[in-house]
Amino acid sequence: MMEKTDPGTSPVANGSGKWNAPTGRRTDEWSEALVLIGNSQDRGAFTRFFRHFAPLIKAFALSGSSLSATHADELVQEVMLKVWQKAGGFNPEKAAASTWVYTIARNCRTDMFRRLQKFDTPLASDDFELESEEEESFVVLHTRRGSERVRELMGDLPPDQAQILGKVYMEGKSHSEAAAELDLPLGTVKSRVRLAIQKLQGLMEA
Amino acid sequence: MVRHHPSTDFLTEHAAGVLPVAQSACVAAHLSYCQRCRHLTERLEDVGGSHFEQLDPVPVGDSVLDRVLARLEDPEPLRYARSEASDTQLPGLLDRLINGDYADLVWKRVTQSLSISYLKTGDPQHEFALYRIAAGGRIPEHTHGGSEMTLVLQGGFADESGEYHPGDFLVREGWDKHTPVALEGEECICLAVLDAPLRFTRLRHRWLNPLLKLRAG
Repeated sequence: MMEKTDPGTSPVANGSGKWNAPTGRRTDEWSEALVLIGNSQDRGAFTRFFRHFAPLIKAFALSGSSLSATHADELVQEVMLKVWQKAGGFNPEKAAASTWVYTIARNCRTDMFRRLQKFDTPLASDDFELESEEEESFVVLHTRRGSERVRELMGDLPPDQAQILGKVYMEGKSHSEAAAELDLPLGTVKSRVRLAIQKLQGLMEA
Repeated sequence: MVRHHPSTDFLTEHAAGVLPVAQSACVAAHLSYCQRCRHLTERLEDVGGSHFEQLDPVPVGDSVLDRVLARLEDPEPLRYARSEASDTQLPGLLDRLINGDYADLVWKRVTQSLSISYLKTGDPQHEFALYRIAAGGRIPEHTHGGSEMTLVLQGGFADESGEYHPGDFLVREGWDKHTPVALEGEECICLAVLDAPLRFTRLRHRWLNPLLKLRAG
């Protein structure tokens, strides 16, 4: 478990607070709720967080998949329990709360599919997460801006590119499965994804 | 300095969680060597996060919240921790699959300078194996019926298109012929993920081909 710190004096959840200037903080409501959950096991913050995110997790569970409503509720439970357990490791300077929840939901959904298909693997999706690392403060700042700009970029994407990214990310389809479903050549799917991602790389290098 | 990276196609599929487990493990192992790809992956996960926050919410009953609240005090599941003896240079994921030292694995000797050790990932379509090439040793000229992902873990090798060092990630497709040669001075260990078996092309090595049938799983 993480060390307990006074939430009043330590705005950063995991103590890597090399960068503490006020402009360096992500101030959205859900990141703050996560920090409260991580620092002081705040059940009120957790309940608010649940009411906002559980319906999104359920939508994610049901999108493009064969999961039943019962399994979708089960996935909501698994993801929200992990949120509670892992909140201490959430770093509001490095990740947006919704991206952080998305990665947990993605991993739990993959593991649930594998369980349901009796797929026998020694690896759980969590094993693929990298060990946490110290990052230079300028890198962290860069990261935080990058994450905001990805959201702006996604809002401006042409519908054909957005549709394919939705298939891949939300419905969990590989490029070739997305191509089959949309009745498009694989090359077209790959080039639409690449066009969208190239813009993203462009803004990373800017 | 890592110079050879997975394509953005692979990184995107990895970030979206849709790559087969063996390939995903190889990409994840590359990330532990490569800050550039880690940062790109974080942005690619933001793409997922931004789609996720735009989903149309589906109502969840209060009973689900009650069940979660009732389980908050449950002990956390045990997590894998590195053994003290483990080689900390190795990506954690591989450390876990290897579970000890390279020397503890079962190595199958294919030629004088090449041995292979198969690791289990459970992926029904892909073989996940370590290739160990003696310093300066050569893998006989071969092709692949499908695709091969390679990640250098130790030492290095060179082939017709370049030189590769730890962390370098490369993909060979189909019928490209190549003849990798390990660099002098150090044994080379690579992770290779294949969806079709290696095929030696020269007459004097072809008799080995039946030994190399794909070992997925």
